[in-house]
Parts: sequence; C-alpha cells; structure tokens
Amino acid sequence: MASTSISKAEKSYIQAGLLANPPRRADGRSLHDFRVISLETGFAPLSNGSAHLSIGRNPHNGSGGTDIMASVKLEVESVEDDASDRGRIVCNVSCSPSAYPHLTSGALDDLQYDLTTVLHQTLSHPSLHPKNLSIIPRKKSWLLNLDLLVTADAGNIYDALFMAARAALWDTKVPRTRSVEYKSPKSLSSASGDMDVDQDTTSGFDTRNVAHATDFELPDYWDEGEILEGRERWPVAITLNLVKTIHFLDATLQEEASCASRLLVVHSYESPTSPTVQSMRMLGSEELSILNLKNLIKEAESYTNDMFSSFTAKLEDEDFRRNQKARERFGKRR
Amino acid sequence: MVEITIRKRPQTEAVITQRKFFKKTARGKVVKVLRERYLRDDVACGIQGCRECSTEIPEPLPFSGSLEHQLFSNGHYLLPDTNVFLAQMDLIESSLFTPPIILLQTVIEEVRHRSLPLYNRLKALTKSEDKSIWIFYNEYRSETAIVREENEIPNDRNDRGIRVATAWYNTHISLTRPPIRGQKQTPHPTVVLMTEDAANREKAEKSGVTSISVRKYVEGMKDANLLLDLLAADGSQEIEPTKAASGRQALYPDYLPISTLLAGVKAGELHQGHFNANQYNYLEGSVPVPAFDKPVLLVGRENMNRAVQGDIVVVEVFPEKEWKAPADEVVDQEATLKNDDAEDSGEEGDENGEEVFVKESRVLSESSSQKPPSERQPTGRVVGVVKRNWRAYVCHIDSTSLTSTLTTSLSTQTVFATPVSRLLPRIRLRTRQAPILLNQKILVTIDRWDATSRYPEGHFVRALGRVESKEAEQESLLLEFEVPYRPFGKAILDCLPPEGDQWVVPPKGEFDVQNIWRDREDLRDVIVCSIDPPGCQDIDDALHAKLLPNGNIEAGVHIADVSHFVLPDNPMDSEAAARGTTVYLVDNRIDMLPSLLGTNLCSLRPFVERLAFSSIWELTPDAEIVSVRFTKSVIKSKAAFTYEEAQIRKDDPNLQDDLTNSIRLLNSLAIKLKAKRMAAGALNLASPEVKIHLDSAESSDPIDVEQKELRETNSLVEEFMLLANISVAKKIEESFPQTAVLRRHLPPPKTNFEKLQDILRKTKGLSLDVSSSGALAASLDICVDANEPAFNTLVRIMATRCMLSAEYFSSGSVAKNTFGHYGLASKIYTHFTSPIRRYADVLVHRQLSAAIGFTPLHATLHSKSHVERVLDVVNRRHRMAQMAGRASVEFYVGLALKARGEQAKVRGEADVKEEAFVIRTFRNGVGVFVSKLGIEGLVTFKRDTQFDAENYTITVPGAKEDVKISVFDKVIVRIEVEKDKNTQRGKVKMTLVEPVDSSAL
Repeated sequence: MASTSISKAEKSYIQAGLLANPPRRADGRSLHDFRVISLETGFAPLSNGSAHLSIGRNPHNGSGGTDIMASVKLEVESVEDDASDRGRIVCNVSCSPSAYPHLTSGALDDLQYDLTTVLHQTLSHPSLHPKNLSIIPRKKSWLLNLDLLVTADAGNIYDALFMAARAALWDTKVPRTRSVEYKSPKSLSSASGDMDVDQDTTSGFDTRNVAHATDFELPDYWDEGEILEGRERWPVAITLNLVKTIHFLDATLQEEASCASRLLVVHSYESPTSPTVQSMRMLGSEELSILNLKNLIKEAESYTNDMFSSFTAKLEDEDFRRNQKARERFGKRR
Repeated sequence: MVEITIRKRPQTEAVITQRKFFKKTARGKVVKVLRERYLRDDVACGIQGCRECSTEIPEPLPFSGSLEHQLFSNGHYLLPDTNVFLAQMDLIESSLFTPPIILLQTVIEEVRHRSLPLYNRLKALTKSEDKSIWIFYNEYRSETAIVREENEIPNDRNDRGIRVATAWYNTHISLTRPPIRGQKQTPHPTVVLMTEDAANREKAEKSGVTSISVRKYVEGMKDANLLLDLLAADGSQEIEPTKAASGRQALYPDYLPISTLLAGVKAGELHQGHFNANQYNYLEGSVPVPAFDKPVLLVGRENMNRAVQGDIVVVEVFPEKEWKAPADEVVDQEATLKNDDAEDSGEEGDENGEEVFVKESRVLSESSSQKPPSERQPTGRVVGVVKRNWRAYVCHIDSTSLTSTLTTSLSTQTVFATPVSRLLPRIRLRTRQAPILLNQKILVTIDRWDATSRYPEGHFVRALGRVESKEAEQESLLLEFEVPYRPFGKAILDCLPPEGDQWVVPPKGEFDVQNIWRDREDLRDVIVCSIDPPGCQDIDDALHAKLLPNGNIEAGVHIADVSHFVLPDNPMDSEAAARGTTVYLVDNRIDMLPSLLGTNLCSLRPFVERLAFSSIWELTPDAEIVSVRFTKSVIKSKAAFTYEEAQIRKDDPNLQDDLTNSIRLLNSLAIKLKAKRMAAGALNLASPEVKIHLDSAESSDPIDVEQKELRETNSLVEEFMLLANISVAKKIEESFPQTAVLRRHLPPPKTNFEKLQDILRKTKGLSLDVSSSGALAASLDICVDANEPAFNTLVRIMATRCMLSAEYFSSGSVAKNTFGHYGLASKIYTHFTSPIRRYADVLVHRQLSAAIGFTPLHATLHSKSHVERVLDVVNRRHRMAQMAGRASVEFYVGLALKARGEQAKVRGEADVKEEAFVIRTFRNGVGVFVSKLGIEGLVTFKRDTQFDAENYTITVPGAKEDVKISVFDKVIVRIEVEKDKNTQRGKVKMTLVEPVDSSAL
C-alpha cells in the first residue's frame, strides 16, 4: 500500500493510542467505527451504471477523504470461445496521480495493477457471474467493463473500491435485447415426399442445441433495461487492520502506515443473512495463526453484516430518489 | 462587483429531464445516447393575436380557427395524431384540405421514426404556402413536456404527450381570452385531436379532450365527396368492416419480421434485391442477388408474395432440385383474370376465386414442364419486404369492374384500376366518382396489400385527363417516369442574369465590369461552325479546324460555357442537379435549365458572341494528338448547319471557302479517328431509332414514321465529341483523382450473351465471340446474311440489349481498373460536351475549370460522398429520361399507325402490313421487330403450337401444311392499333400475315 512516510515516534504514538484503554484515535473514533461514507449512484448518465463514493470526506467543505468513481460500460462482443459465451466481466482500477503525488509513475502502475488484480479476481469469479450477460448463445454477449478511478486516497482504499464496485454494479442496467433468427422451413423439402429416414428426426440422443440466431435487436430503445441478475450478491469487503492483539477498521493513511499487517475479507451475499467468504487477502509482513484467523473472520463477518444492511438500504434509497422522487418533483414543478 | 452566476442545472433534475436511449449501430454495437432537454415557458402557440405568446409570427393560425366544419361551429384547430400522417398523407396534402393544423413535435419525430419518405413529405407540407400549419414544440414547453412513466411503452407515452398538448391548447385559448365586461362572450374555438386510434380517442374523451376520427371529420367537410376518395384504405377497415373480412383466408404467406429478415440476410440464408416483374408473364418475377449469377426466379403468386415492381425484397432460395426455368409463354393478366370481381375478389372459396386459382395453376404447371436443366435458374420465394417503393401510378379504371355506370351515381364502388405499366398488378380502389373517372387517366397510390387480398388496395389521387388526349398522355408519361416537369420557380429564375435576353458579352476593356474577359481567350475571329439536327435550339457545341504552318492541324471543340451562368450551390444549380438531364419527348422538351440559358445565352448561335469552354488540339494529318489545351474563350460562330446542309456543302466540289474547307478537314480527321477507335475494339452498336413526322408545329399530329438517317457529318460531330470527352476525362482525373466525374461502361457478364449465342448457333450457325469488346465487334461484323441486309442490324440490336448501361461515377469511389468504357473501348471517359442538357457535364466543366486554374473548385466537388450522391440522382434521371423518351415515341408511333390505317381505309386499301423479324418465340406466340418502324410487337395465338424451346422454333398449322417459324425469320405482320376494351389503352396489335395468317389461330 501507499507508504506514507511517518516517523518512528509518530508510529509508536499512534500504536500506543490504539492499544490504550479506552483506545484513542486521532479523529476520536472508536476502533470499529467507520468514517462518514457518502454515496451517489448514476452520476455518469452515459454509462450503464455508475457510482461515486467517498469515505471520510469533510461534510462542510467536501475536502479530504478517499474518493472513488466507478462506472460500468457494456459492450457487445462476438463470442469466440466457450469462456465468453456467458459474457465477461473485466475490472480495471486506475489511480489518479494526484491521489498519490509521492509515487513515481512506475510505482503508480504497480499499485494500479495490484488493486486491479484483487478486484478483478474477486468480481469475475464464476460464482458471482450474472446470468443476463448473454445476448445470443454462442454468438453475441455483453462485455461488462467496470472501471474505477481513485481520485483521492485517505486510507482504507480496498473497502472503498469494493463498495464503489458494488454500488456501480447494483446500478447497472442491461439493455433488453431480443434475438432474431431465421429458421429455414424444413417442411418445404419434406413436402416433396421422399422417404428419407434420417432426416428431421428428433431424437433424445441428440443433445445438440444449435441456435440459428445471428443478430439481435433492441425492442425498446428508450428503456434503460433490466438490472443485472443477482445484484444483491456483489461482495462487501472489510479490512481488519492488525496491531498486536487488537484490530481496528477504516484506517486513515497514518494509521495504515503504523500497523504492520492487514487482513482483507470479502463476503458475498447469496441471501441477506448468510454471507459466504468470497475472497481473503493477508497484506503485510506479520504472521497470523490459524486460530487467530478464524476469530478474525468471525469478527469480520459481523462487521460486514452491518455494513451490508446499511449499504443496501442506502442503495435502495438512491434508486428511489432517482426514479420515483424525481418524477414526483417533475410533476410538482408545474 | 459584477455578480456572475452560473446557471447550472442541479443534477437531481437532470436525471429526469435527460432523454437517454440506446441505438444499435450498423456494426452491431449498442451505443447510449443522451439528450439534454431544457424546458421553456415561451414556446409560442402560433395563434394570431395571442396575448401571451409572442405575436411576431410570420404566418400565424387564424384567431378564430376554421369556421367551415359543420361539427365545430365555434371554430376549431386540428391537431392530428401520428397515425393520421402515416396513413392519410394524401388527404392532408390535398389542396381542398385547409383547416388550420397544429403539428406537434412529438408527431413529427414519430413520423420520422416510422417512415422517412412520409417525413419528407410532411416537411415539404409544412413549408407549402397554401396550408396553415403551426409546429408546436410541445416537448420543450414546460407545461406540455412529459416524462415517461415506469413500464410505459413509447407509443403510449407519445399518445399521452399528444393528449396533454391538446388539453393545454384548449386551456391556453380560454385563459388568454378572458371575458371582457360589457361585451358578449364569444365561444372559443376548440382544438380537436384527430386520430385513427380508437383507444387514444377513448382516453381523450375521458380527460375531456375533443377527438375525432379522420373519416368522421372528412364527412363533415364541405368537399366531403371529393376528399373521401383520398382516404387511404387503412381507415375504412375499422369503421365499416367489409362484409366477409373475418371469414377471409390468407392468400399469401405472412412476411417475416424485418429484424429476422436482416438476420437471415446477414447469415447468408436469405437474399436481398430489387423485385423485377416480368412484363410478359404477370405470374413471374425475378430478383437479382449478388449470391447468384442469374437472378432468382419467382414463380406464381404465392412465391412473389405481394412484391411490386421496384420493391426491395428478401427472398429465400429453394433447394436446387426445385429450381425452374423461366416460362416461355405469354400470360396476360387481363385475359386470365377477366372475370374477377372487384367487390369480392380475394375471397378464396367462391367460384370465382376457385376459377382463377385453377387457371393460374394450369398456366404454372404447363410452363414448368420439360425444360433443359441448363436453363434452370435459382428459384425461390419472397419472405419479406425491406422497403416498399410504392408511388402514385398512372392507371385506367377497368370498365367491367363497375357496377353502376350512371354518372349521377355517387355511391361508393369498388373498382379495379389497371396501371399503364405492364409490370404492375391491378389495384383495387373504392371511389364515389367511378363513372366520371371512366375513360380518364388517373393517378392511384397503393396503400397496402393484405395477405387476404389478391390485389393491392389503393386510393384515387387525381385525374389527369381524357384518355388519348395529348395533355393527359404526356403528363402521365412524365409522372410514370418520375420526370420533374413543374415550371421553374422564382428563386431559380432569380439566378439568371438580370439583363435577361439583352445579355451580351461585354466589349473587352474598361466596360467589362464583371471581368468576364479575365483569362478568356479571344477566339472571335476563328472560323467556328456548329452542326446539329434540324430544329435544334440548344446548341451545345461548335467546331473549327485549320492547317498550321508546320503541316499539322489545329482542331477545336467549343462547348457552351454553362458553368459561367450556373454557379454552384444556388437554387438554379440545385434544381438542375435534381432534374439531372433534359428530357426529350416527341413534341416537347422538359428542360434542365431555364430556357433563357438553354436556348439563348448558352446556346452557341451563329453571328453572336458567346462564352465557350474550348478544347484545342494539335493533330498530325494522321490524327495523332500532338498536344491539347483547354481554355475558356469567347467565340462567334460563323454558321449553324444541319447535318444535311453540312454534308451537301462538304460534297459540293465548287465550294472552296474557308468554312467548307474546315469541314472537310474535320471530316478527314474524323474518319481517321473513327478507324483508330474501331481498331482499338470499339463497338458499333445499334438501337432502333425512329423519327416522327409531325404535321405542323401547332397540331403536332404525327403523320408518318421513318427510321433516322445517319450521314457522314453525324459521325464527324460524334468523333470530335468523343475526342473532347476523353481528353477532358484524362485531365480532370489527373487533377482530382478522388472526385473526378467520369462515365464508364462495365463489360457485360458473359452469361448475358449465352442465349443470343445459342440462338445464333442453332438458327444461323454463327458464333459470337464475347471475350472482349474488340472480339465482339469483329464477330458482329461477320454476322451477316447475304440475303438479308437488315439481319446484321438486328443482331446488333440484340447484342446491345445484352449489355449493361453506362453510368456516371466519382473516380475515388471505384477501383481504377474499372474506369473503362466497354462500348467505346476507351480507358477513361466522361461527358463534357452537352452541359445545357446534362448535369454531369456541368460538374465536369467546373472541375476542368479548376484544373486549368480558372476558378477554384467549389468545396462540394471535393467531397466524394457529395459527388456520389449527385451522380446517383443523375444516373437515375438519365435512365428515366431515356425510358420516357422511348415511351413517348411509342405513343406517337401508335398514333401514326392509327392515322396511317385510317388513310389506308380511305384509299380503299386493306390494312397496314410490314415486314418484321422474329426475335423471340413463345409457346403461344412470337415476338417480332418491325425494323421499318422501329417497334417491337407481340403476336399471340389463342391455340398452343408445337414449340421447340431447344431450337427456338414453333410449328404452326398453315393452309396446306405446317409451317415452322424460327428466330430471325422474316415474316409479314398486319399492324393495327386496337383500343383495349377494358383499359382504354391504345395497344399495337400484330397478327401474322405471312407465312401463315394467324388471325384464325
């Protein structure tokens, strides 16, 4: 992670504060408190889904905090192999140089690559794959490009990235398509009356299902489309920052610099009550025993549950604001 | 301090006022498009004297609306829904339909989305002066703008928008006209929603908006009788269902949806092309598609599936074993379907339909039997129509389909209209004026063709006049070939020089205010003359030649400098581009340019100074080009000869003046040029050309027909024009390799000649080498029959028919190795020599003028796509003009023959007999060509004959023994002009006299 250079004295002061009883953090939060998260979906109208998320932004002047923009763009792709038949998801994280002024361009590339790998590997996992990314089986499918741009980093970048990704994917609408096909009428040739036995027999052994559709159309060009299938599933991540025996959440840059290792746990939600661990990363140099890990995962699950419910509520609220409320406002305007 | 506020829209609002939609591109990508919408409060209602809206509107709607309709005595404005324009455009366009119309933006957009041609007509309509139409941008006025509800389909949203706008108009009118104390309140005019959609009407009534259907509205108008005919058939269905509508069986298979068609075409399983009807057999058509060498054959009504000549259709090709050969029989629609009743044709199951069905299937089964496999061609059926190419067709009312012929009867009748063109099916229409329209040429538009109806349904547009009256026939010709013939408008005439016919070339020097002499060469002293057909008024070209001191010859071609008067991109230029060419009819000429230019200022008349564009060569006495230069010039022609005069002058050894000598010089060069061209492999083609003798200029009654005579001087002029065209083509291609306007003639595919080669081999034992134009020219030269001099001409005509037509193109659009002109055996060619009557020449003049640095090239001529677009139009117009010219000759030949027949009768002779050659054989007839009159005709036998398709012969029973007639045989035919009983169409009827009299057959 971005190493903010801090002095040893600062480091030990922060660590001592975290380990004190009661713990003291620079901004007065308790160990498991998050900074204020603000979220807006649909901020980029030309994309198929988008979200703007920031953690810890100063509510008065809008400065500071980790700031991420995420947008989803769908692209029609010709299917070349079986892998892309159901559509593909490609994630890409780019970091604005202004977010990391101290990094050289090479180091910035490395960082982008690291972030992209974590996000892409988690989100493009088959267990999360939405079912409605196929347009015409074996012919055309949607390529979902999820682009995230980090415009400012004030710590806890992973949680923020996953949240932004989830919000953008939640907001994504897939244009409705109707595949069109031309079936050559078999009846024509059979009407001529020859008794060919092996023609046009529908056998149970024939498992081939050859689709002839070659093209598709947009039945309603005004319609934004349908939501991505399984949008509740998209994962929520929690980073546990480990200092000696305790852990804390939502670290600022200085706090990140003063703890040796972090554990990133990503949960996905097949149903709202029972999360499953989707992915896990241990960041940093310290070791962690299995027993400890088990406890930490359990802890992480409870934080994630909190996060998930409030996040989902906010997303639904956003949907409501952008449709129903906006329409009502439009109606009242007259 | 100055306070600057940025009026930024809050994003929260934008989310709903933005209009987002998806678009699928041609390459299959999906793009999201975003439109911002700013709502305003000052979109004007367009009504005269409205208190609130701005009053400075050029042509407002009248204050009290229209008071003429009986249902709305308080006055009304009409607000039509989209479907009105989609279905009833002819009604709205009628000059009798004049209520003030409020046209909503929503409606315009929907029309554009549904049909571009209708959208263009609508746009033209809003600009026309005799309509009072106000376009209201309802989507931009804050009160009338609406937002799509969740799960609302686009159509419902638009309907709702139209209703909201109508309601707003009504409140707006009442709000802006408050009662004034002391004055009696006059009732306000109503805004009436006119729609064909019953559901929309219902919803409108519910929300208190007055609505009405088109039919009901028209019924209440004062010219209801005339206007009701203009109603398209679409509307009639829902209001008065025809008697057996529900019980009807589908006669044709349904079309596949358009997206399926495109998918099929893309996948290569279906093929797309233009539908061509067969003029000899109404049950057969063909569609040329790129996938096959031969066009796809469509046999029978079901397989043609409601395609009309010119439609872009999609066909499915049958497996190869079901392929068929085209029929060899003449099947006449009128004969086969004579007894079909207009009222209930289409109901399968009644005796009539059964009868038709049996007849047609007999015809089809006979024709498909025993054909050599080599003649089979891909056969298929139409599965859908991509684009209808329907327009107004010139028709006659079929008198037998009328139930009542009383002229006083005003009841609606369903009648058949037979189009003049044999390529079109009969059209069924409902009219109240049937008895009056009998014996008239009328215009009919096709509205639709249902799967349950044997014939397309249409409606009457307007009457052209009595059959065989010259005015009606001429107008019908022009309409049929889509020739624009309206007089030039004021905007166009304003582009002419203000001096009018007083315009002269100003004297050189200080009086030349417009600087006309700039860079112009003074060729006034050169001995220039023009040679043209007699009576020619638009003289495009003049020539000169003189000996140079070094023994070489200087020859010059001087072309009228039209581009001096027709400047790019002004109304006159656009009109000329749209007309494309001057159309020559027998007794009329439809000019491309206003006649002041064509026949006066540009015409290179003798003894006056005229501006010209000259091409001047130095040639050796053997006609080799030493050098060529192009220059703008001023010339003064010394004489305007006819071909005949020039010929006589040249041949008169006593004349030794300069003018005559220069003609001789030109002639000697022309002979050498021609020899060279022939050696290079140019074709000497022939097409029947006849000349109509007109009695006098006034009556224009044709009295006789003869073949055109060709003289040496014709060839003289032609050779020099070719030379000029080729030289100019080289020059402009060099200067503008991307956009040069050129003309090419592609070599015909070998398969085109197969049949002619086969006929020649089997009947005369001659072979035709079609490997190159030179080989073809050589083998055409040896195609002679010692006993029959006309035989060679005949073969040449037939060979010409096998070729493709020449076309204009932009040099950047096609590969350079396809530039060639096949017929002229030239690598490059263009048209430069007739700018008065061809638009392509005007473009070439502009390019040449830029190439020699005289004027800069106009920006549009640098754009490949623009040049392509213009040339597409010119090519089409050119083709149409030729067909119109031919049709006009045909009409006059008919009249002349009729006159001749009557004269013969007066003199007590029998009828007109002429020699003719057999050019085609059918199972039940022969196609003949009367070379003396230049007309083709058809002799049909009522009985079948012994027909040998393999050897192109038929055997007919003669007086003593059977006589065999084969292609190229000389026969004698009796020619009569017969007025077709049903259609009033003058029809040349031919019967064999020798070797057998076929009138009994």
